Amino acid sequence: MLEIQELSKSYGKHLAVDKVSFFVPDGQVGILLGPNGAGKSTIIKSIAGLLRYQGRIGIQGMSSRTLEAKKIFGYVPEIPAMFDALTVREHVEYIRKAYSSTITEEEVQALFERFELADKQDKLGNELSKGMMQKVSICCALAVKPKVILFDEPMVGLDPQAIKELKKVVLELRSQGVTVLISTHMLEMVEELWDVMFVMDQSHIIGSYRKEDVGEKDLDDLFFEMTGGEKR
Amino acid sequence: MRALLYLTWRSFVNNVKRALKKPVTLILLIFLGVYAAYVLFALGRLVTELRFDSADGLIALVSVWSIYIFLADFIAYSSRKGVIFRQAHPHFVFPAPISPKLVLIHSAWMNYLTSVIVSLLFVLVGVTVFSVEPWRMALFFFVGCILELLLEVSLMVFLYTNESLSERFIKGLCMGIKIFLGAVTLFLVLYFRREGFDLDSVSAFFDWPGLQMIPVVGWNIAAYRLILIGPTTLNMVCTVLYVCTVAAAFLMAKHMRCGGAYYEDAAKFADDYAEMKRRKNSGEMVTGIGEKKRKFRRISGNYGAGGAKAVFYRQLLEYKKERWFIFTKATVINLAASAVMAFALRQNVARTEVPQLFLLGMTAYMTLVFSGITGKWETELKSPYLFLIPATPFKKLWYATLMEHIKAFADGIVLCLPMGVVWGVSPGMILMTVLIYTVLQANKMYTRVVAQCMVGDFLGKTGQDIIRMFIQMFIIGIGIMAAVAAGILIHVNLVFPIILIYSIIVTVVMGALASVRFETMEQID
Repeated sequence: MLEIQELSKSYGKHLAVDKVSFFVPDGQVGILLGPNGAGKSTIIKSIAGLLRYQGRIGIQGMSSRTLEAKKIFGYVPEIPAMFDALTVREHVEYIRKAYSSTITEEEVQALFERFELADKQDKLGNELSKGMMQKVSICCALAVKPKVILFDEPMVGLDPQAIKELKKVVLELRSQGVTVLISTHMLEMVEELWDVMFVMDQSHIIGSYRKEDVGEKDLDDLFFEMTGGEKR
Repeated sequence: MRALLYLTWRSFVNNVKRALKKPVTLILLIFLGVYAAYVLFALGRLVTELRFDSADGLIALVSVWSIYIFLADFIAYSSRKGVIFRQAHPHFVFPAPISPKLVLIHSAWMNYLTSVIVSLLFVLVGVTVFSVEPWRMALFFFVGCILELLLEVSLMVFLYTNESLSERFIKGLCMGIKIFLGAVTLFLVLYFRREGFDLDSVSAFFDWPGLQMIPVVGWNIAAYRLILIGPTTLNMVCTVLYVCTVAAAFLMAKHMRCGGAYYEDAAKFADDYAEMKRRKNSGEMVTGIGEKKRKFRRISGNYGAGGAKAVFYRQLLEYKKERWFIFTKATVINLAASAVMAFALRQNVARTEVPQLFLLGMTAYMTLVFSGITGKWETELKSPYLFLIPATPFKKLWYATLMEHIKAFADGIVLCLPMGVVWGVSPGMILMTVLIYTVLQANKMYTRVVAQCMVGDFLGKTGQDIIRMFIQMFIIGIGIMAAVAAGILIHVNLVFPIILIYSIIVTVVMGALASVRFETMEQID
């Protein structure tokens, strides 16, 4: 479960997020939508503990700043940044040690197979393409075996096979009771994944829907209804 | 902590492996090691010859180091720029379940390594050169390494991670530290201004009791004095104060609450640091981390040039939007160097009857030695649009670099005019030197491209620069020899036109060779 209460964040005089509150229950996939500059990245970075903020962020009932909360939290940032001198394998090994993760060797291998990284395990961070970095980033977040996982624009830079695999992963996580939050612009990519959606505009959540309440309605239609834009 | 140690260890091992794969790096490391040993040996002999090889001499050296490191550390930590974070930190380390204090302490490991190495060096020279008893040097190591590191870490933790005190208070405190440091610096300047800067005043300064009374750094020096030359009332009191300060700072840092609020600054630092490295690697001149966002002037008007010429006009438009137009830090360096050399060498130059040759020599020196400054032209090569323009590679090269020639001409005036005027060189000769500077800069630029094409990424940026310097020195050397021969055999004033004409010919040839780089975007590594 991920809960955001009265979250506010300013950069100097600019108020990027203004008293935002929302909640993603256990085993559900939340999507955070909104135009550029709406404040999505600020929320994501705040949840990941990378910003100072006012308000409260709870992960499974614990403050997101506590080490206990961090232990069960996975994060895939929008722009992956690898350690130049660490191999793919060593990145995962580092995660295993940092999170005292129970992931087994077989499970790591299976992850690498799924994301076509099995033959790239010995490549150094600075030898990877952006797409490969994104795959490593996803594998590392999954190696945590998280209870709450955050994806910031996870499909950007991925090839079609990896996108397909990632969608499967998200559905598997949901079935395992993991709370997932995805921030994205690519509505068509999350069409079949979401349970609850939050639309942001100008530092506020301007609306939210639960899938069970909207029936067969398109995600596009819902989004443009709320933001006042036009579907092409 | 286990994970962080793993991270550092594996990075170290992989970096060593990578370095060993490149023979050039290995040779460079061996060369640097031998050079460092030679410098240490030479300094040791110098110290002995100057009869400085006693505990007092070591005290003077250690005091200089303490003051330097104290100033450097305080400034860096108070502005939160003393610890290097990489862009991978916000991705992999900050969200991880690791104490933010540990993350900070671990990230500064390079700083500790410097302190440990310097302390070990002091121990080594203390025993061998300064003839201090080993037990004293062991104690010295304890104070210089353990206590000093403890103080440094505590200070770093306090300034970075403090969340109990308001941001405003911390900023005020940092400002206070900077004012204190400014006062210490001013005090040193005033002292040496009054007493003069010679061996006696330096010795007197280090023996002066007031030095040991300066809070923290003075107390630290007092502890060294106590260990190395024995107890006095003053150094014992100050040492106790130092130990108490370290203990208090340590306890305060240990018990401070920290949830990782500093990660925001650290993540910004990581981005700024990566940007600084990127700019440095692409040959730009960078003076600091996190330089302020550049502001551009608004320019109205249009330009209507076609083909490769459009590249030049686009650059012109960009420069017009710059605050200082085509004048950069290189201009300031040229002006400062020119002013300093003009007055410093005035008497030497006056004794000879060929000030114009001094001017030429200085200009050539500045061209050859200052290598890292590039303009907008190198970024042109990174844009695919340049290669799509329907024009010959030579034309593209010319228009992509034309602005650099104009800039070099302006910088050349700034460099040559002050020296030329002060040394009494005729206007014609000054003009010719400016032109030679401009052509040599162009030559440097093209030779660099040729060097890039020759060695690719195999030798890295430094290797390319060394190759560039060798090619340029070789080619220009031939011209200089020819010019000198003509100068001796016919007339000294022939040196200038011969060098100018020769440089133009060589530069055109180099330009033609370098234009290959403008053929396709793909280059051979």
